Amino acid sequence: MAKRSRSGRTTSKNEALAAVRGNAPKASPNVRRLAAFAKVHSCPTAVLAFAAGVDSNRVLTGTRLEMPFGQSPFAIGRGVAFENLLRQHGHAELRRVLTEGLEVDFALAPVENLRQGFQPNRTGLTMRASVTKNHMKEIVTGLPRPIVLDGAVLRAEVGGITAFFEADEMAIGVGGEILVGENKSWPVVDGRPTDADALGSALDQAATYALLGRRTLAEVGVDPDRVSGDVVIVTPRNTGLSPVLHRQNVDGRIRRIERLLAAVPAVSDIAEDLPAGLSFDPVADTSADDDARLDAFAEITDQVGNVYEPGSCLTSCGFAWACRECAFGRGDPAVAGGSVARALPGVATLRRVSELGRGAPPSVAEAPAAGPIARAGRLYDEAVPVPAPRRRRPA
Amino acid sequence: MGIVMWRLGGERFRAAAVAWGPVAGPFKIAVAGEPRNRDLYFHALAPFATDLSTAVRAAADDRVARTRGSRTDRLPANGLQLVVANRSTVGALGLLGRYLAYLSDRSGVSPDPNLMEAGKHLRFYARHSRTPGQALIVPLDRLLSEHWATLLSPLEQANLAALDAQIEPGRGVHAFEASAAAERIARIGPEPTEDIDRVTTELVEAFNEDRAGSVDPAVVTPLLEPISAHYRALVEPVWALIGRSVSRERGLPAAPSVAGRFESDREAFGRHVDWVSDGGRYRTTDTPRQAAMTLRRLEQARSRYEAERAIEDPACMVPYLLDADAIRGTVTNLNEDHRTVVRVRAVQRPLLTLDTDDPIVLPAGKKLWWTAAAHDAPWEVVSVTRHAAGSRAVLMLTTVARNDRLPALRGRATFSTLRTRSEGFPLALATAPPWTHQPERPPAAPEPIDAGDAETPAAAVDGSAVADPEAYR
Repeated sequence: MAKRSRSGRTTSKNEALAAVRGNAPKASPNVRRLAAFAKVHSCPTAVLAFAAGVDSNRVLTGTRLEMPFGQSPFAIGRGVAFENLLRQHGHAELRRVLTEGLEVDFALAPVENLRQGFQPNRTGLTMRASVTKNHMKEIVTGLPRPIVLDGAVLRAEVGGITAFFEADEMAIGVGGEILVGENKSWPVVDGRPTDADALGSALDQAATYALLGRRTLAEVGVDPDRVSGDVVIVTPRNTGLSPVLHRQNVDGRIRRIERLLAAVPAVSDIAEDLPAGLSFDPVADTSADDDARLDAFAEITDQVGNVYEPGSCLTSCGFAWACRECAFGRGDPAVAGGSVARALPGVATLRRVSELGRGAPPSVAEAPAAGPIARAGRLYDEAVPVPAPRRRRPA
Repeated sequence: MGIVMWRLGGERFRAAAVAWGPVAGPFKIAVAGEPRNRDLYFHALAPFATDLSTAVRAAADDRVARTRGSRTDRLPANGLQLVVANRSTVGALGLLGRYLAYLSDRSGVSPDPNLMEAGKHLRFYARHSRTPGQALIVPLDRLLSEHWATLLSPLEQANLAALDAQIEPGRGVHAFEASAAAERIARIGPEPTEDIDRVTTELVEAFNEDRAGSVDPAVVTPLLEPISAHYRALVEPVWALIGRSVSRERGLPAAPSVAGRFESDREAFGRHVDWVSDGGRYRTTDTPRQAAMTLRRLEQARSRYEAERAIEDPACMVPYLLDADAIRGTVTNLNEDHRTVVRVRAVQRPLLTLDTDDPIVLPAGKKLWWTAAAHDAPWEVVSVTRHAAGSRAVLMLTTVARNDRLPALRGRATFSTLRTRSEGFPLALATAPPWTHQPERPPAAPEPIDAGDAETPAAAVDGSAVADPEAYR
C-alpha cells in the first residue's frame, strides 16, 4: 500500500508494517474504506491496521467478538443487478439518467472503464492512477465534452504515507468540471431516500473522492475547485430498479474529511515505536483458541493504544466489539457513549465517577469535572433516593 | 396489537414475513415465499391487512364526547396501539404503507381494497410516530431507553435484546456481559443479517423451482411450509422479547401526563380514520404550508413532552438543574402580601426567597415556572445573591396569590424554564405562502410506486462470489 522508495527508511517502515500485518486478512485500499477510516482516525490501533493494510472487519473472524459485517445475498444481488442495468447495452441507462439529470447530452459521451486493461496488482494500480490523473486534467483543460470515468484510482496521503485508493464511484466530466457520481441500490421514493444512514455514507464516500480528486488536480497545476462540491447519486426509483439521479452539495463533508485525515497521527511515529514482534498474525490465527486471539488483540491495543467511541467505531471498524470489551475491562466511561465520555474529562474510570459523585476528593486531572459530578450525584440522590440497606429481622 | 416484520435483504418494500397478534398472546404469520412476486405478496399480506383494517375501524367506532369551550368533538374512546420491537420496524412499516396505500390496477383488476386501506393506516402510524410522547405506535427500543438508565450508548440502545439484557441481566451476570451476549445472538429485524438470508436464499430458490411459475394458492401454499418454519423460528424469540418488555413496563406507574398525551393521540387517530373512511388521500410530499405547520406541531409536542417528563420525574429534571435551566432549594421566606406597581396601580405580587444548595447565576427578570404549577403563571427573578455555599434567589409571582400557586414555606421547591402550556394561541399561517416559499412545481399528487413490480427479481448473489461485497451496502 505504501509508496515504494529507494530510501532505507521507507523500506524498513514498509517491512515493519508488513510484519505487523503478517498473515492477517488484507484490505484492498479504496475510497470507501478511506471514508470509513476517517471516522476512526484518532484511534492508534485503527491507524496501524489501516497503514499495514489489515482488514479490520475480518481479523477477528471466528471469535466471539467478530462483528456481523456481512451482507444479505439478496441485497448484494440487488446491487449487482442495478450496476448491470446501468452498464448493459453500452451504458444506455446510465447515459439516459445522466442526460436527464444533468441536462447535458451523454448519448455519445465516452465511458472509460479504468478497471479494464490493467493488471490487478500494484503496477496496474499505479498505471491506473496515472491514467486517471491524465483524464482528469483533460476533462478540465480540454474541450468541454461530457465523459464518464469509471474505476478511477486516486492518490492520498494518510498519516504520512502516500497510498493509492480505488474508487467505486464515477467521475463525470461536464462542461470542463468534474462531478463525482455514486451508484446505490437502495430506492428513492417521493424524492426522499429510504435509508438516511446509507445516504450519509454514500455522500461521505463521494466527498472523499472529491477531496482526492481536488488534490490530484492540484498536483498537475490545475485549479482544484474544478472538481465540483456537488455530487450525484444514482439510485433506483420506487419499487423497481429504474434509475434516477439526485444532485447534492457536499462541501461541508469535504472540509470535515480533510480535517479528519489531516489529524491522523503519523504512521512513521507509530511504526518506530512498535515493540518487536507486534503483529496481527496471532489475532487472525483461526487455528488458535478464542481467548488466545482476543488476548493477542488486547496486547496490541495495550501497546499501541486505542480510542473507543461507540458512535463511530461500531459502524466503521471490525475491532469495535473487542475494543468495547477492553474499554469495559478498564472501566472506561467511553463504553456509555461519546457524550458521556466528553462530560467526564480527566476521569479515567466509571468507578471514579461513582466515587466523585459521592464527594470523593478529586485529583488534579479530575478537578474540572469533579464539581459537576459531585453536584449531579447529590441531585440524583435527592431525586432517586438510594434504598437503605435491608436490616435482617432478629430471630 | 404487536407486529414483527422481517424484510428480504435490501428490498425496502418487501416484507418476507409479518407476524401480528395481541402482545403476549399467540401470533399469526404471513409469509409470501417470494415477496417480489406481486400476486404471492398480496395474497400473503391480505389476512394481515384485513385484521389491521378491521381492528382500526373497531377501535374508532366507539366514540366519546369531548367539550372544550363551545366546541364538542367526538373522539375515539380508545385508539389501536401498535407495539413493535424498534424504530427500524416503524420505518419499515411506513415504507410498506407507502407502497400499499396507492396501488395501480393490473390487467384491469384492482388490488384488494383492504391492502390499500391497511397501507394508509401504516403510513399514518409511521408519520404519527414522529410526534414526541405519542403512544399510538410504540417502538420498544425507544420506550425502554427512555425509561431505564443503562450503560449502552445511544447506538447500542437500538438493539432491544441488548436493552432487555441490561435491564434484567440474570442472576450473577453483569449487565455489560449480558447485553454483549444478547447483541451477538439476538436477531430482531426487520433487516436480515447475512446468516439469515443465506438460509432464506436456499429456501426461496427451492420454492421458486417447485412452484414453476405458479401463483395458484392451491399449488403454492403447501410449498410454503419450510419458509414459514424459517421465519416462525425468527419471529418467536422477538415475540417473546416484546411480551416480556411490555409486561415489565406495564408494572411501572403511568405518569400523570400520559392521559393528556393519549387524548391527543386519540384525536389524531379519529381524524385519520374519518379521513380514510371518507375516501381521503394523503399527500406524499407536504406543501410548504403543511411542512411549516407540521414542524410547529412537532416542536410544540417536543417542548410539552420534555417539560412534562422533567416536571413529573425528578430524575429527568437533574440535567436541567445542571445546565442552569432550573433551580432547586428550600423556601426560606414567603411574603404573600407583597405589592408592586404594575402599570399604574399597586397590586399583590407574592415574593419568595429560595436558598439553593449550589451557587447559581440568573439575570434579573428571567421567568421561571414552579414545577407544581408549570401550566400557570411564571415567577420572575428579582435578585440573586451569594448565600452560604449556595445562593439566595428572590422570586416574584407574576400574578395574584392563590394556594395552588405558592410552595410551602421551608419546603423544597424547583423552578425551571419548562412550562406545559404555551402562551396565547398560535397565529394561523396564510393560506397562500409567500413567493419565497413556493416550490417551482407544486408537490405531486399521491401516486402508485409499484411500476417496478413487473420486473424480474434480481438473483441472490453470495458475498464470496463478488470481489468486494461491501461495495453493495
